[in-house]
Amino acid sequence: MRTTLAQASLIRHRARTLLAVLGVAVAAAMLLDMVMLATGMRESFRELLVSRGFDLRLAPKGTLPFDTDATIPGVAAITSVLRNNPDIREISPVLGASIHIPIRNREGEGQGDVSSAVLGIDPTVQGDYEFLSGRDVTTPDAIVANDYLIRRLRARIGDTLAVATGYDPQTRTYSGQRKLVLMGRARFVYGAADQSAAAVRRETLEAMQGQARRDHASLFMIRVRTGADPDRVREWIETYIPSVSAISIATAIAQVDQRLSYFRQLAFILGAVSLFVGFLLVTTLVTVSVNEHSGEIAVMRAIGVSRAHVVQQVVLEGVAISFAGALIGLGLGLATARYLNAILSAFPGLPMAIDFFLFQPSAAWTALALLVASGIAAGVYPAWRAASLPIAESLRREAIA
Amino acid sequence: MLLTLIGALLLLQTQQNQPRTVAIDESFAARANLKVGDRVTVSSRPGADDFAVMTATRTGYTPIAAAPETVVIGAIVRRGADPSEVARGDFLLRMHLDQLQQVSGYGDRVDRFAIATKPSANIGQTVNRINHVAFGFRAYRSRDIAVETSRTFQVVSRFHRAIGVITIVASSVFLLCIMVLKVEERRRDIAALRLMGISRWSVVQSIIIEAALVAVLGSVLGVALGWAASLFVNWHYQALYRTPLAFSMVTPPIVALAVSLSLLLGIGAGILASLRLVRTPPLVLFGR
Repeated sequence: MRTTLAQASLIRHRARTLLAVLGVAVAAAMLLDMVMLATGMRESFRELLVSRGFDLRLAPKGTLPFDTDATIPGVAAITSVLRNNPDIREISPVLGASIHIPIRNREGEGQGDVSSAVLGIDPTVQGDYEFLSGRDVTTPDAIVANDYLIRRLRARIGDTLAVATGYDPQTRTYSGQRKLVLMGRARFVYGAADQSAAAVRRETLEAMQGQARRDHASLFMIRVRTGADPDRVREWIETYIPSVSAISIATAIAQVDQRLSYFRQLAFILGAVSLFVGFLLVTTLVTVSVNEHSGEIAVMRAIGVSRAHVVQQVVLEGVAISFAGALIGLGLGLATARYLNAILSAFPGLPMAIDFFLFQPSAAWTALALLVASGIAAGVYPAWRAASLPIAESLRREAIA
Repeated sequence: MLLTLIGALLLLQTQQNQPRTVAIDESFAARANLKVGDRVTVSSRPGADDFAVMTATRTGYTPIAAAPETVVIGAIVRRGADPSEVARGDFLLRMHLDQLQQVSGYGDRVDRFAIATKPSANIGQTVNRINHVAFGFRAYRSRDIAVETSRTFQVVSRFHRAIGVITIVASSVFLLCIMVLKVEERRRDIAALRLMGISRWSVVQSIIIEAALVAVLGSVLGVALGWAASLFVNWHYQALYRTPLAFSMVTPPIVALAVSLSLLLGIGAGILASLRLVRTPPLVLFGR
């Protein structure tokens, strides 16, 4: 009966109910988006870091991986120290640099060059790219590249490329130049969509860069033994190798959180505003509805309907509007989240795998729970008014009207 | 004469032995508890208790081992309001170029040159001429670099615009709903007015005026609230990022947009709701 009465009250003013549901839907969509924004970046970044199975990253002291051109000297010595820790299972040193590849037309005329980021890795333990096709960098003269670079070079698998690591402006020649064979295609997991990237063996890149970069790495990636505590290993590393910053997944997420705190705070503020707007809308609508039906409520009370029954009916009205709005808002929110995510994906240098708006069932449940709770809260005041209406006076007023 | 010469040589020798000065930014001084006159050792090789600092040329640590150098803090400077660095939280140390090249082992190299042209110079031609002979470097106009480095802010700006549109849609529905409710609440008043012989147009006009007044009052309150929120946002983020940058600005065009939208929506909702009511027979409005 309570449901029937609440339904009848809502259907009686279809346009008004529809508007209120629409208002709550927009607020719900905004709330869902903001919950997704607040948790999405962190979760997406965490997934990116754990996806390759490395628990720790060692960067030059005070820097984040590849944040500067800094390198860590003494790869062999550091590796030897790291091997002393039985909790360390795998070590992957990575050297980063820039390469320049001259391009020529069919007539052999020079048409400038293409620059790209390159990683010097050990293919057996690398965690920077997913191999797509062809062959990996199993030989010293092999190079793999992402599709973006291959397109820019207009190259094909098997082509030989003259790859240089620098320029000598005085002699107008390339430095560190070497012929490398494009062996395969790869997708670089930390790379942006519009970023050229390639990988060669680390010893190849060291040799191309000359004595200056011999035995250097930009980054070490470390896998710890199953069951070992990465934070304990991190502390051990910072004690024994003071020239590096050891970054665990938790500290990396904390640093990213700090840099992107603006978005989290924005999400919190806009989410709170959306929730408040939805609450206000439902409260207003249900209050007006109670005012309009004060005569009916008085009659119900006069024939013996309990206060609790009246309260439940009014609260049910609020919850019904909120629930219907939330369901529509869920679809609307997912559509707007996709649109907003597409905007933010254009951030320069943002890894392709990072999503600002990541849909997780928990986010949808949180938004829904918040809206239903606000729907219940919104119905409390009008319900209290309805339950405390003076029966005789309300009936008299209704009769006069 | 000889004494003067010896004195001058001694003075020169003393000056050469004096450590050179560097400038550091406020946040670095506060973090490392440094003040003007303090001596510090600068090295490109990090140690256990060192601070990692971004140097003026952003070289980081370089591979060639170079001797550390003792320098004196000559100045503590406030960094310019650079939006691209606002969330990085780096420390900055400014050194003389030759000093940095020596400490970092960078040799006779720089990351970039800044070139000032004469007011009469054709910048486009100058850039083309440099690029024609350039090998391993490229010249750009400052405004092109500004466009490239501001891509992050263009993305943030597009995101803000999109959020703004969603907010406007939400506010519009809210406003429409409230106005419809407000007018509907007066069904009986309107029915009484109509029965007394007041024309439909007069009823609609009175509701429109009322809606416009409500919209104006709401706008004034909204602008005041927005201005206060803007002050809070600037206060919070300027303190958080230690920057004089303005994060939020309430400009006349924004106020004009908000007020006109509010008026438009308020009056529109008033017209819609009042037309619906005046078309309904007064007795029906009374519930008879």
